[in-house]
Amino acid sequence: MRRPETAFAPDEEIRGRAYDARLLRRLWAYVRPYRGLLAWSLVLLLGVSAAQLVQPYLVKVAIDAHITPRRLEGLGRLAVLFLAALAAEFVLRFAQLYVLEKTGQNVVYDLRTAVFAHLQRLPASYFDRHPVGRLMSRVTSDIDALNEAFTSGLVLILADLLKLAGIVAILLWMDWRLALVTLAVAPPMVGVTWYFGGQVRRAYRRVRAMVGRLNGFLQETVSGMRLVQMCSRESWARDAFREVNRQHRDASLQSVFYDSVFSAVVEMLGSVSVAAIVWAGGARILRGSISFGTLVAFFDYAEKFFRPLQEFSQRYATMQAAMASAERIFQLLDVEPEIVARPGAYRPARPPRGEIVFEGVTFGYEPGVPVLQDVSFRIRPGERVGVVGWTGSGKTTLIRLLIRLYDVWDGRILLDGVDVREYDLAALRRSVGVVFQDTFLFAGTVHYNLTLGDERVTRERVERALEVTGAEAFVRRLPGQLQSEVRERGGNFSTGEKQLLVFARALAFDPPVLALDEATSSVDPLTEARMQQALRALLAGRTSLVIAHRLATVRDADRILVLHHGRLREQGTHRELLRLESGIYRTLYTLQQAARGA
Amino acid sequence: MGRRFWDYGKRYWPAYAVGFAFLLLTNGLALAIPWLLRDAVHRLERRAPLREVALVAVGIVLVAVLQAFVRTHSRLRILGASRRVVYDIRNGLFDHLLRLDATFYDRQRTGDIMSRAVNDLGLLQSVYGPGVMNLLNTSIAYTAALALLLHLDAVLTAVALAVYPPLWFAVNRLSRRVYAHSLAVQEQLGVLSNRAQENLAGHQQVKAYVQETHEVEAFQGLCAEFRRRSLALARTRGAMLAAIGIATGAATLVVLLVGGRHVIEGRMTLGDFVAFQAYLALLAWPTIALGWIVNVFQRGAGAMRRVLEILEAEPAVPPPAPGETHAILDGDIEIRGLTFGYPVRDGEPPRPVLQDVHLRIRRGERVALVGPVGSGKSTLVNLLARVYPVPPGTIFVGGQDIARVPVSWVRRSIGYVPQEAFLFSRTIRENVTFRDPGANEDEVARAIRLAHLAADLEGFPRGLETVIGERGITLSGGQRQRATLARAVVGDPPILVLDDSLSAVDADTERAILEALERERGGRTCIVVSHRLSTLRHVDRIVVLDRGRLVEQGTHEELLARGGVYARLFERQRLEERLEAR
Repeated sequence: MRRPETAFAPDEEIRGRAYDARLLRRLWAYVRPYRGLLAWSLVLLLGVSAAQLVQPYLVKVAIDAHITPRRLEGLGRLAVLFLAALAAEFVLRFAQLYVLEKTGQNVVYDLRTAVFAHLQRLPASYFDRHPVGRLMSRVTSDIDALNEAFTSGLVLILADLLKLAGIVAILLWMDWRLALVTLAVAPPMVGVTWYFGGQVRRAYRRVRAMVGRLNGFLQETVSGMRLVQMCSRESWARDAFREVNRQHRDASLQSVFYDSVFSAVVEMLGSVSVAAIVWAGGARILRGSISFGTLVAFFDYAEKFFRPLQEFSQRYATMQAAMASAERIFQLLDVEPEIVARPGAYRPARPPRGEIVFEGVTFGYEPGVPVLQDVSFRIRPGERVGVVGWTGSGKTTLIRLLIRLYDVWDGRILLDGVDVREYDLAALRRSVGVVFQDTFLFAGTVHYNLTLGDERVTRERVERALEVTGAEAFVRRLPGQLQSEVRERGGNFSTGEKQLLVFARALAFDPPVLALDEATSSVDPLTEARMQQALRALLAGRTSLVIAHRLATVRDADRILVLHHGRLREQGTHRELLRLESGIYRTLYTLQQAARGA
Repeated sequence: MGRRFWDYGKRYWPAYAVGFAFLLLTNGLALAIPWLLRDAVHRLERRAPLREVALVAVGIVLVAVLQAFVRTHSRLRILGASRRVVYDIRNGLFDHLLRLDATFYDRQRTGDIMSRAVNDLGLLQSVYGPGVMNLLNTSIAYTAALALLLHLDAVLTAVALAVYPPLWFAVNRLSRRVYAHSLAVQEQLGVLSNRAQENLAGHQQVKAYVQETHEVEAFQGLCAEFRRRSLALARTRGAMLAAIGIATGAATLVVLLVGGRHVIEGRMTLGDFVAFQAYLALLAWPTIALGWIVNVFQRGAGAMRRVLEILEAEPAVPPPAPGETHAILDGDIEIRGLTFGYPVRDGEPPRPVLQDVHLRIRRGERVALVGPVGSGKSTLVNLLARVYPVPPGTIFVGGQDIARVPVSWVRRSIGYVPQEAFLFSRTIRENVTFRDPGANEDEVARAIRLAHLAADLEGFPRGLETVIGERGITLSGGQRQRATLARAVVGDPPILVLDDSLSAVDADTERAILEALERERGGRTCIVVSHRLSTLRHVDRIVVLDRGRLVEQGTHEELLARGGVYARLFERQRLEERLEAR
């Protein structure tokens, strides 16, 4: 069920730009509901910066007003002020980070559930073309990247810019000449950050690519280990692995190199600015233009100035990754669900009588490869119809089309005389009870799995259904009975138990039409006997379409349809079909008899 | 455990030693800058000439340049060594994986092996690199800064450092809680992903039962829990940052109060005061790093244990030893009283899959193995290639007891086409010549022809050089199986085993392939496991297995005449094929 490669968007290759106005506008739609929180975060941010920037100034005052003139009184008050600024900084920062995280988490929550909800609306054919693994990363890693950008990207860049502006203003105000000398280091710092930051990012990208290759090789070789050993190619595998591992090591050494040089050079420039302050500031002190306190404050502010510059490179990379993720997420959200109910779709007032008509239905999963060709039949209300056919004859497809998981290419399907495409989707699917070949239980309780949250399914109906299908016995043995937990896909139940529960569910819903794809998985003979009994209870008194893999299941059906290579080739009762000399049904029957003998 | 860490790291002790020396130097230089600052302030206080102050400034620049150089090299040495150590461990791990046999791989899932090779080696890298580096750094910084602080003002040091023990205690506690919270966040992310995975995989059922809304609601519940846990993590992390900030700030405050008084009282110079603050700031980071370092070493120990679990697993089939002699065995096979069961967990006796099988296959003979599912056919051919440990004295190839000769002798003598058509994501040529990379063009062409691959290759953009899996190029099941067949016949092994390996190839092509094999067989012994009995008419003998026992053998006609297991299987398949053809 694969289309040519063009069907897969080359989505892993999108490399984001750090700033993309179109994407940011779309993201803003998700942030808007929380703009109050965001505004708070920004206000708090102002407070944090103010509290942070006032501290070196207080130290300056302490030195100039008290320590240098050796005046003790008032130092205590200053100390209290300092403590207050300090406390304010950390309390406000805590609040700010928390409010920001909360905003981010809310946005991510909305976006993640929006993506998930959108996936629920996409048609089955979309899932045939897009591997689940790839869709998963939209819901997980891409959303995480956005969260990361939110909490340590955009807002913090804003915060840094704010802080830088504040420091520049204070420095200029204290002594503009010394300020210019101090800030003279900024342009080379920006240059270094730009150059080395870029190198570091590129080096890490290479490392990530190498990690991918290394893991890919390892994964593949471990999966194919038997083959490697069987062909005595251990030494080849060893050498090939050494080569990939070596490339990975070299890339990683290179990233260590750029990383080390980058941090050392940045630190060096910081010290150079200290030296510049000593020289120029010293001269100004000796001339009496500035105080010692101002000098000390300059050291402090210079340090606070250079740190954000160093971090900018990292923030840039985060934004870049986030934009790429946003692009992929919006690509997915832009996929239109093909199968939707039209406005004013048909919703039957009462349960349908259950007449099913297939008229010249042609359909396939891949263009040009029809699975069903010109299939026509009519099932009267209350009729029990079995469908048999060799593997790949298109039997299961009938059910998928009936509940409109896919739309027909040609022809039409009518339920009670109305085209299924005219129906409201939910109404259509609720009218047709479906039992799939692979039984699927939803995570939740046993009770939930029997009612699926539908209030019309009363407790009595549930209990009757359990009793009739014979599922009662094992449900009673469960520790929590009806309230017992069902894990994902019913992993904590045996195949037979799951099937009985699914039968009980179908019975509890009491749908006018039942479409059933018989399970092929083998269960023990005792369970098998119980299943057959449950099945008879299920089919009694309703229109049914049963895809049978064991002919015995449909032997006493009112009519049997025989599909072969996508066409309806024979129909009739079991007896009638057996009378057809060298008929397909007859051959199938003989085969199964033979199988039982073997 | 420490011993194992040393074993892998010791090769690089010179790098670590140089790195350590450089670290010492870096720290010395880092401490020199506040000292120079102190000197500058002293000179300014004395109203020394600007030239002297400028000299100090030049001194600071020189120290800074030297420090940049030394720091770069200390990091390059130590972090570089960590990458090399992990490179070695990874190579060692892979070498060992190559030695382990099917008994190991049946138990261990690929995902689990991958997680050890990726995540756990990542943790080890943190130990050998930043872990060691920060441990050294912290110790040096602590010792040196403390000595200088005490030298500057012992009383002030005692007062200022009073803040650190509670800080350390608080950070340690909080960082443990941060770790616990972040695990909880990861766990919830796992739950959420699983749920999404199940939902997407079961999308048809979700639609059929109109469960979209319920699924979205359930997913929202999980997302809400994820949000709750993330916020709890943010709170704890925030509290930790606040604690660190307030404690270090408090230390500064104490210095300002007490130190300021000392300066005013003339017990301390202003220069000492400035330097003191600078040294105190140097202590803050190592204090915080301590908690991180402890964590890295703890998790590293766990990682080492998990890696050693693989490294200490021993193969049951002795792997090929380097430099052992090569030999190709003759295609004459004898199986004597072979009983075999797969090794199970300790304490349980293995359930026999094969029981007392006797079989003689002469060189050049073509034998088919047939029987119902689970009758032991695959096990028998797997044992022949010694994928599992073979009981001594039960299987002889070319007159040699295969349990007693190097395993490569047996494997080089058998061209094996497995049930699952596994191909590497490499070129088709590399895959086809996988058994014998030295094969010449003629041999490759012959194998391609034999496997009926020529027409398929023409459909690929680069023929034999097409890379499988690249640019969405995928091979169909049948193409894959035929490629694995071509791979098995390159190098012309004396024995060819087809383990139900043409199931995805249509019956006509399968028949044609088997006929071609027949024509080109030369003296090659051929064992075919197949479910498609109609394609087995040409074999010399058909051997029927049922529930681990050899129940019938003979030619097609003989077995049909017997009316046993084979005859029933055959009749059934004949009908199936007639049906398929209509």
